[in-house]
Amino acid sequence: MAFLEAERLSKTYVRRLKPTSGGPSRLWRRDTQRIFALQDVSFSVEKGELVGILGPNGAGKSTVVKLLTGILTPTEGVCHVDGRIPWQERREHVRHLGVVFGQRTQLWWDVPILDSFELLRDVYNLEPAAWKRRLDEMTDALDLGGFLRTPLRQLSLGQRMRAELCGSLLHEPALLFLDEPTIGLDAVSKLKLRSFLREENAARGTTILLTTHDMEDMLALCRRVLVLGHGRLLYDGALDALLRRYDTVHVLRCAYEGPCDLSGLPQGVALERDGDSYVLSFAPAEVETGKVLSWVLACGRLREMTLKEQNVDQLIARMYQEMSL
Amino acid sequence: MKKQTIRPYLTAFRIRALLETQYRGAALGGVITQAFFGLVLAYLYTALYAGGDPAGLRDTVTYVWLQQMFFRVLMTSDSELQNQIMTGSLAYTLCRPVDQHAYWVCRDLAAQWVGALMRMVPMIALQFILPLEVRMALPESPAAFLQFLLSLSLGVACVAQIHTVTSAITMKTLDSRGFSGMISLLMMILAGNIIPLTLFPETVQALLRYQPFAQALDAPIRMYQHAQGTAEFSISLAAQLAWLAVLTAGGRALWRQHLRSITVQGG
Repeated sequence: MAFLEAERLSKTYVRRLKPTSGGPSRLWRRDTQRIFALQDVSFSVEKGELVGILGPNGAGKSTVVKLLTGILTPTEGVCHVDGRIPWQERREHVRHLGVVFGQRTQLWWDVPILDSFELLRDVYNLEPAAWKRRLDEMTDALDLGGFLRTPLRQLSLGQRMRAELCGSLLHEPALLFLDEPTIGLDAVSKLKLRSFLREENAARGTTILLTTHDMEDMLALCRRVLVLGHGRLLYDGALDALLRRYDTVHVLRCAYEGPCDLSGLPQGVALERDGDSYVLSFAPAEVETGKVLSWVLACGRLREMTLKEQNVDQLIARMYQEMSL
Repeated sequence: MKKQTIRPYLTAFRIRALLETQYRGAALGGVITQAFFGLVLAYLYTALYAGGDPAGLRDTVTYVWLQQMFFRVLMTSDSELQNQIMTGSLAYTLCRPVDQHAYWVCRDLAAQWVGALMRMVPMIALQFILPLEVRMALPESPAAFLQFLLSLSLGVACVAQIHTVTSAITMKTLDSRGFSGMISLLMMILAGNIIPLTLFPETVQALLRYQPFAQALDAPIRMYQHAQGTAEFSISLAAQLAWLAVLTAGGRALWRQHLRSITVQGG
């Protein structure tokens, strides 16, 4: 059995709604509506994998995370993490689990973060010496030294996220859930966080599941992604293969020194003039990029040329559109 | 499986206590408000008792001051927990390998005790500068004081359990105001916060003394004023223990059930 195995997970909520029509009974009558937050989701993750979970808002990402942490019980299906069923053996399960919810905080607002870390030491029943070693190591890696004794409320967002991450990893969990860990962070903090996570994954074999809307995070960290939409698992596989599938248009911009001969445009390439440069667009799946390039070179004295890949966010938007999410 | 220890709970208590000491401004505000109300009530009763029973007046004034001193204990919910439930931050606590109910009760007890102590000390100091007629009396005897302390501990524990019931309701409704409001009204009257329970007619005394809200402060205050005989003391403690057991069992059952079906707010 894989380290983490989800089999046909489904979660249904019943939502009670005020009826919009009917007599005075509207006041107390309630219609019920079933919300399928998750339907029939199965996947497995090996130890040490770094997997991203993609999907628009309301796709079921958080539901998956909450089921895997044991906070929620599924309506149907089962999952095992390291042989345990999270919601049945919650306490033993969460002992080996770390979580970062980017929009919430686990550390105490009004006390120095070191105090919060001490609480976590005792909550996880860690050996004081081992805890100290781990804390020192993370203080270095995450650069927390300057503000260990500062109350959380006085920290900047970037400092806070690093402290949160430290709090989630003090007990050296085998599995780490990151829910939008870089939300609101500046470029430097993001890069730092990413490299720290990569190292953590490489050095300790921590299995990491990441949900984020930040595609740069995804690209930097995850080779494999799960795409969720409307509560269903729509894709489970390599991230670059997914991107290639939706990267349907390449745009090549070129400008020439002197005269150029633009006859014999290869089939499938669209040509537009933009000021003194030309914009070629083509589908890489239909037209060989090499063929386009040699045509461009043959046209005249090339002054400059850029090949623009599509913005990843645009790709994802297109993917969501095509999957009608 | 690692063996369970009480370490997490003790630390939760310690850190919550530490946190409470940060809120000195709130404590000062509390002291000023409660001192004001204490004075107004003390003078009010002095006027009411004018020409009447001086022993009764002394008891009532003492009752009023003790109520005001421990006002912090008579909250209907643990605001920190309520907030976490409403914002969904509870998700984090749910990811900790601890008994959720016990963990929160420890935090709550720490907040209550430290909060109460911080307000109590200046209020005791205040007594020394008050005119004699509105000053609270000392405990009747050392025995009375010991009985008071024991009973107060049980009283605070009862309130902490009432909080877990309120929180369990919030887990379902996701808004604490309705239920808290109702409990708050009951608590104000039935804990003797508006009119000391000792002033109610003799005929309802038996009923009043043994309802849950009286266990919080009314029971300890009665001991403070008059040391009780072994039989009476045992009955009073038994009532507190019984309510503590009922509230704890009820709170735990509700938590077990509601935590299973909890909807954690937001992404």
